[in-house]
Amino acid sequence: MHAVKATNKRMSKEQWLAYGLLIPTLLIFALFMFWPFVYTIYLSFFDWNMVKPTKEFVGFQNYIDVLSDPNTYKVFGNTFLYIVLLLIINCSIPYVFAFILDLVLKRYKNFYKGAMFLPSVISLVVGSILFTWILNPVSGPVAIILDWFGVEMPIWSKMDGWVIVVLSLITSWKVFGYNFIVLYASINGISREIIEAAKLDRVPLWKIFFHIVLPMSGATGIYVLIITIVQGLQYVFTPIKVITQGGPNYASANAIYHAYHEAFVLYRTGHSAALSILTMAIFITLLILEFKFVERGVHYEN
Amino acid sequence: MKSFLKLFSLISLAFVLTACGNSSDSTDKDSSSKGEKTVIEYWHVNAETQGGKTVEELVKAFNEQSETTEVVAKYNPDMYKGLMQNLQAEAAAGKSPAVVQVGWSFLDYFSNNFSYISPQEVIDQHFKDDSTFIKDNFLENVMDLAKNSEGTQVGIPYSLSTPVLYINRSLLKEAGLNENGPQTWQEVQEFSKVIKEKTGKHGFYMQEPADNWATQALLESNGARMLTDGKATFASKDGIEAYQLLADMINKDKTALHLPWDQGVQSFIDGNVAMAYTTIARRSQIQQNVKFDVAAVKSPAWEGKEVRLPAGGAMLAITAQEEKQQKSAWEFMKYLYSVESMAKWTEGTGYVPPRKDVAEAENGLKAYLEENEMMKAAVEQMDGVVPWTSFPGDAGLQAEQLLLDTRDEILGGKVSVDEGLKSTEEEINQLLK
Repeated sequence: MHAVKATNKRMSKEQWLAYGLLIPTLLIFALFMFWPFVYTIYLSFFDWNMVKPTKEFVGFQNYIDVLSDPNTYKVFGNTFLYIVLLLIINCSIPYVFAFILDLVLKRYKNFYKGAMFLPSVISLVVGSILFTWILNPVSGPVAIILDWFGVEMPIWSKMDGWVIVVLSLITSWKVFGYNFIVLYASINGISREIIEAAKLDRVPLWKIFFHIVLPMSGATGIYVLIITIVQGLQYVFTPIKVITQGGPNYASANAIYHAYHEAFVLYRTGHSAALSILTMAIFITLLILEFKFVERGVHYEN
Repeated sequence: MKSFLKLFSLISLAFVLTACGNSSDSTDKDSSSKGEKTVIEYWHVNAETQGGKTVEELVKAFNEQSETTEVVAKYNPDMYKGLMQNLQAEAAAGKSPAVVQVGWSFLDYFSNNFSYISPQEVIDQHFKDDSTFIKDNFLENVMDLAKNSEGTQVGIPYSLSTPVLYINRSLLKEAGLNENGPQTWQEVQEFSKVIKEKTGKHGFYMQEPADNWATQALLESNGARMLTDGKATFASKDGIEAYQLLADMINKDKTALHLPWDQGVQSFIDGNVAMAYTTIARRSQIQQNVKFDVAAVKSPAWEGKEVRLPAGGAMLAITAQEEKQQKSAWEFMKYLYSVESMAKWTEGTGYVPPRKDVAEAENGLKAYLEENEMMKAAVEQMDGVVPWTSFPGDAGLQAEQLLLDTRDEILGGKVSVDEGLKSTEEEINQLLK
């Protein structure tokens, strides 16, 4: 009896210790993630302008408004265009680069690694301001160089489509390096014997990439894929805010920027909250699909 | 296990909530009186880099010379909106500062939702000597800026900015044009054509921030009105004509630029655009960075018509509730509106002084304006200043946004001016109903 009681006591002591150690994290999570989330859901049912003392309950009206606004669909269209572009620039290309750097190149590896990672440490606001100048279609250095070849730079910041491409490029300047280093580490970890064996058998490089490297670094690949989508969309916010403010006529706004715009520029918090919740719903659906169909085929080494 | 986690997150949530509640209580301090002096609070939005130092200087100088009043300056982050929110919280707690800065776009909101007292009323009650202070020292059109839609004088204009035309004199000279710049919008168009032909550079850029400030100046100077009796009326014949000129310069003549604000001003500073129409608040940025002969001239007019320039900035209003505090509030405001204080304010912030006589006075801005020629244009055009139109009601900001969206459509060449303005006007009137 005594012995059992003692272990019970110790167990609960250990448990309390474990929970005690969890508290700081839980507090931070509660403060910065759960509470704002709950509050956003709450706000999405009210008509409020952030200053008024009273919030007016409107039921699902905000959701109806958001779903019947043509701009919402434009913005979601933009969002997916951003995702596609970012996946190409920040996931596929760094994958290939990392592969080439690890297995094909022989010299200056460290230089390339450093050079490609460097932009990740610079603030994106600074980067955006820099690029506003570099890519100024009238007087920026790029425009001047293009001018030598008789090419007139399009006024990208005011053209549909172009503006998304350029903003994605600016964002990738920040995100590329980190994704690249993570993928490089993963490819670097693949057993050399397999690759050497393949090389001896004169397997072409593209086959090595698709049949050996890709499957064996797939776990990291998935991680990069997801953070590209999620983080990329958040990072895109900065150049949108600094350079175009969502213009021309919402052609560069993504879902996250649009939610910000509704809440902090137009002070339509209900609208903004409804849009955020819808965005969240879409992304949760995407994640579930990802776990169901992509994750299954991924090989986890450990 | 799970229930434990839930419990903890609940506890932590509760903790967070109570912590928030506590912190807002503890910041409130009693501010009634300090010794014999009446202590009042002055709420402003000027961060360190935006004139905050000047605020401190002025308050310190005031406190040193005043025998009755001690002012405590309180900075409110996030500009006029932030101040409005803090004021809301303070009012909910049954308190209020004595003097606050209110941005023009919050004029109606402020007067509908907060209890304030018109400065003239305080003067009439307690300061018989000052009874004509406002009348004597302010232009009537400037005082009108601080009247709400019912015509009540809510406060007194304090920080003012107006749009001016910056010109690259070197480039104008190169193109063989009058170095003093164009006087009318028609001339602006002509000048731009010549500049494009002679130098290959662009002629003109009009600021495109997220508001319709400059657009209002362009349209209203031609006789159009953004708003008449609570309804949007900018798509009148005059309004369309004015907008057409800008759209033509961009899409037909290809002499003007359609760019975001920063890139546009940058291109002017680089010397790639000869003329830029933007706020006087950009003066120091432009002055410090250009490498050519730069000047600022008054806003162009339309031939035979008077200019109407919307004012940016803020006013001061009295929100003190007790008589003693109200008296102190006016004493402080009178100090802020003295020639010397106004001059300091202009030097520290780049705003145009709202009262008369500051520009010429020896103890005012005389010496400063001789050195800063560019300020002159803004000071001289004060008689053309009109209130910055804000669309009324809860949908006001949305209406403003619709007009911005149309700007992109029109200047991007996607719709005609006529069609764009008319359909937007209709949409806005639908919203304002």
